[in-house]
Amino acid sequence: MKLTIGHLYPDLLNLYGDRGNIQCLKMRLVWRGFDVEVRRFCIDDRVDFSDLDIVLLGGGSDREQMIVCRKLQQIQKDFRDYVEDGGTTIAVCGGYQLLGHYYNTPDGKMEGLHLADLYTEQGSPRLISNIVLKNDRYPYPVVGFENHGGRTHLGEGVEPFGKVIFGYGNNGMDHEEGVIYRNVIGTYLHGPLLPKNPHVCDDLLLRALRRRGYEGTLQPLDDHEEREANAYIVRRFAGSSDS
Amino acid sequence: MGFRTSLAIASAKLLSFACKIAGKQGVTMAGKLAMKIDPGILKKLSGQVRGEIIVTCGTNGKTTTNNLICSAYEAEGRKVVCNHTGSNMLMGVAAAFVLASKVSGKLDADNAVIEVDEASAKRVFPHMKPDYMVLTNLFRDQLDRYGEIDITMNLLKEAMDMAPDMTIIVNADDSLSSYLALESGHKVVTYGISEQVFHREDDHEIREGQFCKQCGHRLVYDFYHFSQLGIYHCPHCGFRRPDVDFDACRISLKGGLSFDVVQRAAAGKDQLPQRHIEASYRGFYNIYNILACYAAVRTCGLKTDHFDEMLKKYRPEFGRNELFRIGASTVLLNLAKNPAGFNQNISSVMEDESPKDLIIVINDNAQDGTDISWLWDVDFDRFADERIRSITVSGLRCQDMRLRLKYVGIHADLEADVRTAIEKRLKDGCGNLYVLVNYTALYSTHKMLGEMEGRREGAR
Repeated sequence: MKLTIGHLYPDLLNLYGDRGNIQCLKMRLVWRGFDVEVRRFCIDDRVDFSDLDIVLLGGGSDREQMIVCRKLQQIQKDFRDYVEDGGTTIAVCGGYQLLGHYYNTPDGKMEGLHLADLYTEQGSPRLISNIVLKNDRYPYPVVGFENHGGRTHLGEGVEPFGKVIFGYGNNGMDHEEGVIYRNVIGTYLHGPLLPKNPHVCDDLLLRALRRRGYEGTLQPLDDHEEREANAYIVRRFAGSSDS
Repeated sequence: MGFRTSLAIASAKLLSFACKIAGKQGVTMAGKLAMKIDPGILKKLSGQVRGEIIVTCGTNGKTTTNNLICSAYEAEGRKVVCNHTGSNMLMGVAAAFVLASKVSGKLDADNAVIEVDEASAKRVFPHMKPDYMVLTNLFRDQLDRYGEIDITMNLLKEAMDMAPDMTIIVNADDSLSSYLALESGHKVVTYGISEQVFHREDDHEIREGQFCKQCGHRLVYDFYHFSQLGIYHCPHCGFRRPDVDFDACRISLKGGLSFDVVQRAAAGKDQLPQRHIEASYRGFYNIYNILACYAAVRTCGLKTDHFDEMLKKYRPEFGRNELFRIGASTVLLNLAKNPAGFNQNISSVMEDESPKDLIIVINDNAQDGTDISWLWDVDFDRFADERIRSITVSGLRCQDMRLRLKYVGIHADLEADVRTAIEKRLKDGCGNLYVLVNYTALYSTHKMLGEMEGRREGAR
């Protein structure tokens, strides 16, 4: 079985090691014997969501995010149909903000994709920290690094990606971080997110495989390097390790 | 000069001396103390510099370029204030002046050649007005500190506005630096490399500034040298690489560096002035460093009678391709602190055809940048080569580094303690060891290797 990963606009959104997320998704499929294709879509390329199994939307500077924002308006309907059909998506930093209704900055308001019920207001100072999350979906904590000026607020009843054990999260106030909606994860965590959180990566992969009709489970991998790197961050910043 | 100034200088000197005895680098602390006692001290001292003040800014190559400029001045018999060690924030700059002054508050200096951190420039310039700025390049570096490269550019622009009479000597091959310099309204002198040196096929290096800063459209490149440095233009608004005043041509990287600098600005002359340059160090990026230095000193009107001699004698600041001989092994220590720098380091390691062992030390202290996600933007897959006999990862974030390598199919040994890692490879390695470190590991690793080599303390 083959999965196709679509990397949206790496020519503009390529801050914070997004390449690591792609590499992680790819290798964890390859190591299990699945076929995988990564397609990079530049800003002028047409995106056909019907071919895609996993979509990655990364982070960029505010200026570049503005260019992407205009582009996304043109493909908003296709993107929404993909998400509502259970398409797997991972959106990081700027990409996360664009999933919501809007991102308000002093330079203007960026219209979001309205895919998830959330909005973002720019605040000061930037929230910059290592970060540790907990979510009962996952067997051990989620770790990463956050660096964002935006304060994101989730709508009533919207599920966050995790509870903040250490760090700031969506807005530094409500101890929540990111969003989970259908098979979409939106998050401020980079570092990049997936290599140190193979449980999150595998969860996304399984969702994408299931959508293609795969009924098996994922063969376990030797994850001791991933687990140790994760545990180090948990130990150092959150004081204990559950893994 | 008042009592306060004298007290500030005396205290700073004492503190610096105490740090030296304790084997610590106390430059920043000395500057901090002096500024605390006399907040006006940097202004008082920098005002006594008789000739021009030059500052060097830019993400990579700052320390080497700045120290080369300093050496070029000294080679012509000038007395120069310089922050050699690379302490380049306000306190580090203050320390360079304070430690060069007499306790009476007198500074005897012809020139000052000072490297300044991009984000700190606007804090330094109210105290010290530079006449010239060398701007080497702008790459992503320490995103957690600077936010994004756009923020760094804005901070630099604010600083430039504070010194309207300053001439900017800029790397024309970097669209970001060039745009910033040209937009600033300052007098601009350019340097660059117009000929194509590398012909690469499968190049997927992550590049900054692919879009025109002037109009936002995609820039078109004739070719790249590395990262985003190359020959570019914007088909939409006409922004393009500016004409180059100091152009490096006939470049050879075989067994050291060799090239000619053509002074294209000298228009109207039948024969453009040329100068042949040779240096024994490695690394393509050093051509930019030497070229920047030459362009700067020529622009400042310095004679360059002893320039070749200076290059021959010049020893890179510690940890810039620094060679140690320990027992039967050679150890090369190199600083690698951001993707562009690291990719250049990988090129320089791979230029060495012989088998080698590698130790990579990654820390995430404040001065390194606490965000180490940039490791994933480095093309480490190039280390998958049989001439790389082993890779050991070390430092606070060795776990992340090991994981990074795992995802390009490279096995690494983990040893968090740097000394243990080095000692082990000296014992069982192939005798050719490269140690690549990021910023906060540099000083301690340098000291460690020096001790192992048996150098006397303070021999440098």
